[in-house]
Amino acid sequence: MTRFDLTTLPLVKPLLKSRWPQFVIQSIALGGFIFAIFAGLVGTPVGNHNFSIVFVWIAWWALLMLVAVPIFGRGWCSICPIPLPGEWLQRGAALAPQGHGLGLGWRWPNRLRNIWLQNGAFTLVALFSAVVLTQPSVTAIVLAAFLFVALGASLIFERRAFCRYLCPVGGFIGLYSQVAPLEVRVKDTAVCAAHTEKTCYTGNADGYGCPWQVFPGGLVKNTYCGTCVECLRTCPHDNVAINLRPPGADLLRPTGRKLDEAFKAFIMLGSAMAYSAVMLGPWGGIKSAAYSVGSVAWFGYALVFLAFIFGILPGLFLLAVSLGELPASRRPTRKAFISFAYTLVPLGLTAWIAFSLSFVFANISYLWPALSDPLGWGWNLFGTAGVGWTPYLANALPTLQAIVLIGGLIWASATARQIAVELKGGLQQALPVIVFCFAVTLGLLWLLVG
Amino acid sequence: MVASRLNTEFAARVFVLGIALGLPLAALIARLADKTIELRARVAEAGGWTPTDLTVAVGQPLILRLISDDVLHGFALGQSDGPAIDVPPGQAVETTLTFDRPGKYVFYCTRWCGLGHWRMRGTIEVAGTTADSTTGQPPLYVTLGLNIDALHEAAVTPKGAPSATRGAQLGVALPANYLTQDYYRAHSPAEVWQALRAGSFSTELTDDEVWDLVAFVWRSNTTPETLAEAKTLYAQNCAACHGETGAGDGIAAAALRDKAHEAQTEFGHLTQAPADFTNADHMLGASPALLQGKIIRGGMGTGMPYWGPIFTEVQTWALVDYLWTFQFEYK
Amino acid sequence: MLTRNSRWLLIALALTALVIALVPLPATLAQPADRHFRIEASSFEYTPPVIAVNPGDRVTLELVSTDYVHGLYIDGYDLDLTADPGQTARLTFIADKPGAFRFRCSVTCGPLHPFMIGKLNVGVNWLLWRAAGLAVLAATAIAIPRNRATFKDRLRGALSPRPRGPLRVTARTRLESINNCK
Repeated sequence: MTRFDLTTLPLVKPLLKSRWPQFVIQSIALGGFIFAIFAGLVGTPVGNHNFSIVFVWIAWWALLMLVAVPIFGRGWCSICPIPLPGEWLQRGAALAPQGHGLGLGWRWPNRLRNIWLQNGAFTLVALFSAVVLTQPSVTAIVLAAFLFVALGASLIFERRAFCRYLCPVGGFIGLYSQVAPLEVRVKDTAVCAAHTEKTCYTGNADGYGCPWQVFPGGLVKNTYCGTCVECLRTCPHDNVAINLRPPGADLLRPTGRKLDEAFKAFIMLGSAMAYSAVMLGPWGGIKSAAYSVGSVAWFGYALVFLAFIFGILPGLFLLAVSLGELPASRRPTRKAFISFAYTLVPLGLTAWIAFSLSFVFANISYLWPALSDPLGWGWNLFGTAGVGWTPYLANALPTLQAIVLIGGLIWASATARQIAVELKGGLQQALPVIVFCFAVTLGLLWLLVG
Repeated sequence: MVASRLNTEFAARVFVLGIALGLPLAALIARLADKTIELRARVAEAGGWTPTDLTVAVGQPLILRLISDDVLHGFALGQSDGPAIDVPPGQAVETTLTFDRPGKYVFYCTRWCGLGHWRMRGTIEVAGTTADSTTGQPPLYVTLGLNIDALHEAAVTPKGAPSATRGAQLGVALPANYLTQDYYRAHSPAEVWQALRAGSFSTELTDDEVWDLVAFVWRSNTTPETLAEAKTLYAQNCAACHGETGAGDGIAAAALRDKAHEAQTEFGHLTQAPADFTNADHMLGASPALLQGKIIRGGMGTGMPYWGPIFTEVQTWALVDYLWTFQFEYK
Repeated sequence: MLTRNSRWLLIALALTALVIALVPLPATLAQPADRHFRIEASSFEYTPPVIAVNPGDRVTLELVSTDYVHGLYIDGYDLDLTADPGQTARLTFIADKPGAFRFRCSVTCGPLHPFMIGKLNVGVNWLLWRAAGLAVLAATAIAIPRNRATFKDRLRGALSPRPRGPLRVTARTRLESINNCK
């Protein structure tokens, strides 16, 4: 289990220590974000020719789900534009610290120091997703809402409260970052123990204390580290490393496993399955029900969706876990349920990758006209406004999806076995969970490839 | 050190504000500077064309940017030979129109976009010094004094589809007056059958053979080219309601028949099932002039559009000629 | 590190996987026939949404749009049809590629246009069966009991990022616990 510190490579540390590279990328992201809000509000109502839909739900989503999360974990969070206006106001500066900023700086309430709010926020967006993903004006309103909530959170609470406790995207990026092959860790904990100021958390002239309210010296899991590398800038002992590591390392850490994260795994897996059925399936009735918000059909759809994510899927999983404990005649413990739920992290990630593959590649050709005519006003900035729709990789996609899903099954099953060993349950404890993962994989195969 | 830090901070703020606010601002400025008239298309239930009325001077080019906000629409000028322009959703198509003569021109949608498709029309008022006040001839049904809303059932109908080829092979020398276009247009097939039946040249013929003669008369008043052109017009404009086989069972027919009250709310009057051109009782009792009248004037509360401003006279007669192919065999 | 037994097991597993994935299988035993389908397209579904033919069949599709102009594009076959209401579009092709192919609308017809999807089944969908077979194999392979010692070694490796210094154990757990309070 070796880890390779990427900061030992030439250029990595200077590029990260300097604020400008990150700032430039963040500014471009913020520009794109605000333009997406603008495009959604004043541009064409035809979704597939509007910058907001094409660049948010196709391009950005593809980048996030297929590249950023599997490889960089929370890497998107380090350049995400949503918290930036609030954070800059809160800090009183866009770059290095220089005096005071605005804001009340309250501590986030203890009761809410979990990801349940994020679970709820994601579920809410998911319920309305048929409308959000297809109507530019609705996308614009949702994005603007994120911006204003983040702004408000930064002016009331300390640090990145929105990112840590409210952002629906952050909820699942954090959970899935546990399997990413990159991590930010300290090189030597003894150095941290001897360092009294802990400037990685309190900040100094070189940078700010961790905006994610994480103590870098004690970081052992990726979940709540936003890879913003402020700690790299503030540590006076050059003790922060960015390690390349084997994927999935965090999954096997028994500490820090919680029910809210377990349910996030169910929400993500369940919604991947639901979206595969509703959006990519041939059943028009369900699609209409999902789209007609406020109608009786939609309430029916919402109820089934919620029941599946919060009831059926966790219920079946609980059954699997309790079956695994039967031979020892133990009641299914909360601990076993929560621990085994982490097998659904790689399973859910691969489910989302498989779903995203067909959705993205079928529609990514809309990128070309959206680049040249982002608002549908008849522009032709780059000469590609007339490029028609063509699905890409249509021949290869089903095989790719099958490979991804089977890969996920292998990974999840291996994780289940390893967790069973850790819980001292042996094979019989892991087997029903493996069967559960197998059943989910079959379902997804049938929906996406069948 | 502090001064340079303030400088970089200032530069950073300018940079991010420049990008974040600059892009939307640039877009807005480009938009406001753009003087091209935008003609937006939506399905009729959502507003149709916006704006509906345009004005331009004679000889002045009218540059239009056509954009659809929902589904595929089309644009064409009525009573003209100009090609139809497709207006795809979210993509702009520019076209330039120049008018030689003043008057009121109608533009309409050419791709079926729902039950309100035929209502997607607008006008271009072309102002000019010479007010062209040629009203033109009234339609034939007016001249003939036909009531095109009256029932027109045929007294006699054939057993099968009359065949013009069989009629030609009968070798009957028809008097010339039966073969003129005026005669054809002013009389229904049933009337012509009565006239032919009473003629001395047809005493040897059976009733159905006389019908074949009628079909022959009908065919001699049109050409294959006319029928081919009309077939396209029919497919593009009529088939959605009247059916591809003319049986009044087009894809929109059920809605017209069953959602009459919704049409009342939406469009202000009822609708009914489209006419069945394969029904011999109705069709054979109607003269071409009557059919032309129905096409030009429309249905008066039935949901049948009025095509007067859209089809030229040549196109309308071609369509009428084509409608008979649902009754007669021309091959 | 692998014992002889587990080495043979691994080889057997790999061979089985290859067989499942690659062995050629007939897509159908039926004779090719002429098939005819009338597909109605409305916003935003096809009726019928799923059609099934045998490989080699001569398939004629009739696309009837009921409200707006719709298209039908078949993935994998790269065939495209567009139909206006009132103008049925027809397409005849030989279904020579077996498998399951999605067809989707190719003319923007409203908000849910990208999700207007149907499915063409040509013969048996061997990809699905092979994938299912591999899934069974994978789950079984991982569920087979193996040398527990190997797992313990790997588990130990996963839990320690090699901290250095005399205070390593207490410092690490103490620092870890700071983050676990939240």
